[in-house]
Amino acid sequence: MQDTQIVQAMWGGILFGSVYGLMALGLTLVWGAVRLLNLAHGAIFVVGAYAAYWVVASLHLPILVALPFGVLAAAVFAYLMHLVFIRPVIGKPGFDNATLIATVGISISVSAAALLIFNPEYKVVPPVLSDSTIVAGVQITYQGLLVIGTSLALFAIVHLFLTYTRQGMAIRAVSQQTEAASLMSIPVVQTYGIVIAISGALAGLAGVLLSPFFFLNPQSGFNPMIQALIVTIFGGLGSIRGALVAGFVLGVFESFVEVFYGVSWALPGVFILIIVMLIVRPNGLFGIGEVRRL
Amino acid sequence: MSTGAVAPAATARPAIDQAAVPWRRVSLLAVGGTVLAGIVLPWVLVRLDIGDYLVTLLILFFMQAVVAQSWNLIMGYGGIYSFAQVALFAVGGWTTAVLASSLGWNPFIAILFSPVVALVAAVGIGLPTLRLRGVYVVLLTLAFHELAGEFAVTGPRFISGGGYGLTTVPTFQFGNVIGEQRTIYLYYLAMVIFVIASFVIWRVIHSPLGVAVIALRDSETYAVSRGINQFRIRLILFAISAFLTGLAGGYMTHYNGGISTSVFNFSNIIDLLAMIVIGGWGTFGGPILGAAIIIGLDQYLVGIGDYRALFEGLILAVIAVFAPQGLWPLIRKTYDKYLGPEPPAPAVPSEQAAYPAQLPNQRGGG
Repeated sequence: MQDTQIVQAMWGGILFGSVYGLMALGLTLVWGAVRLLNLAHGAIFVVGAYAAYWVVASLHLPILVALPFGVLAAAVFAYLMHLVFIRPVIGKPGFDNATLIATVGISISVSAAALLIFNPEYKVVPPVLSDSTIVAGVQITYQGLLVIGTSLALFAIVHLFLTYTRQGMAIRAVSQQTEAASLMSIPVVQTYGIVIAISGALAGLAGVLLSPFFFLNPQSGFNPMIQALIVTIFGGLGSIRGALVAGFVLGVFESFVEVFYGVSWALPGVFILIIVMLIVRPNGLFGIGEVRRL
Repeated sequence: MSTGAVAPAATARPAIDQAAVPWRRVSLLAVGGTVLAGIVLPWVLVRLDIGDYLVTLLILFFMQAVVAQSWNLIMGYGGIYSFAQVALFAVGGWTTAVLASSLGWNPFIAILFSPVVALVAAVGIGLPTLRLRGVYVVLLTLAFHELAGEFAVTGPRFISGGGYGLTTVPTFQFGNVIGEQRTIYLYYLAMVIFVIASFVIWRVIHSPLGVAVIALRDSETYAVSRGINQFRIRLILFAISAFLTGLAGGYMTHYNGGISTSVFNFSNIIDLLAMIVIGGWGTFGGPILGAAIIIGLDQYLVGIGDYRALFEGLILAVIAVFAPQGLWPLIRKTYDKYLGPEPPAPAVPSEQAAYPAQLPNQRGGG
């Protein structure tokens, strides 16, 4: 009995940990480069998921076509958000206030729009892989393995992108020293846009891949966003490695609490962990100071 | 801020800076007239057909304005991105509800405990969070909101009432008064709370504490280096805000005769945020104006139903980005033009005017 429970907790923890990591990766990228706390991240997640759902349900196309469509829709949405609401306040004194409220406003509007376009009923987005296998009495879905693999691969890709490509180096330069970067003729505002679009694509991907596990409704972006926020802070704001490690740590922790103490303790447990963490290490697991980011 | 702060008059009377005597910019006539109008208004309104309804709307307005104002005090003035305001409102509401319904206390006695418990809760949240930067405050206060909402549903029966909240809380009774008369008394009670809250907030903003708060918001580094204890100031501000919010929560509970777990709905946070942003972020009158606008518009927006949230979100985003001061400056200008006691003295050419409002390297900061 214990073995099954432990395997169950491990599997759930790794699966959700990888998804939290995927969401947190987008948040941490935007925070690191743009210094923007994107509270519309959950809304972008919902945009991606509904776009994919629409392709599957209305156009009757397979999920493999819908997946890139959802990701693209999320990225375009994030970029538009940048153009309309973020760009005008870049470098202005009220940047924090304005973007905080604007992103909250956008996420309300997106849920409301989703409610109007697609009714409040729960939608089912089909999984990319629908088979499963049994390991030690626990059902392991291939979709879950796909999510874990994708998440790990994306962390690697983003890391390589930031380290070795020109664009990636530009992003890191902007995040570390905006003035110097702009003096080296790096288009700062455009770089912000690219980072926000990448982050949007990651959120959209998470939305499409995760929706088969939970059903999709207009509010379903909220919890993943809160979890991603927790992961981001736990791992250290702006730290990619932190997001990866913290995603798994928190996912496994939450899963074990759920299996051994009951579901209602999961969220309080995570919050207690994060409060302890903030007291012990205020900058998070891989806390990086103000100077060096990404 | 006493006159003792001003240098003793030697030969020539020193010119007092306008900012040091804020009450000089307030016309007693205008304030007194407004209060008088507020006292007379319900007696006039109840003569109308829908008067009773209008009076209840005004009660709602008073309470929402109290909560919006106290949220604005910490968020607009203090720059503390707390999302715990609705939860603190609920704490106030639940305190008095439990005291009145489980222990059978008189609502007028029980309500006195709701601001106190809300204040204690705020200090409890504030101690671990307010030392941290903005982003952490957002997360931890949201966490408090979620946990409080969770507890209100799953907590012990005398709190959760079986998952729906407490539905049989005694209401305010004024002797044997019923009907219109009772509505008017309720109105006066709400108005007293509103006036007290507004005065306290106005006073806080124009006290040394308020000046320190604004200094911290505008340039944290400079303010801290001038010896302002950021954590202490923030904690005091948070406590004041929670105190007033808890009082409003207590009133609404006895007014409605119950408190349901739906207070934790996210739309309540959004409505309050809309009031602050539309009215005027970080201005004294903004939240009051915003509360009036939102509650007034609500009566017309019932028809558009689901589109309401869509527009509300878009308006929030647009105003936050393109008109961060909201609508308040407009009102302020009109007031200064027609009702202000005297045109503000020509700005004293001092080196203070030469300082930029914001240090140039204030980017982000959290």
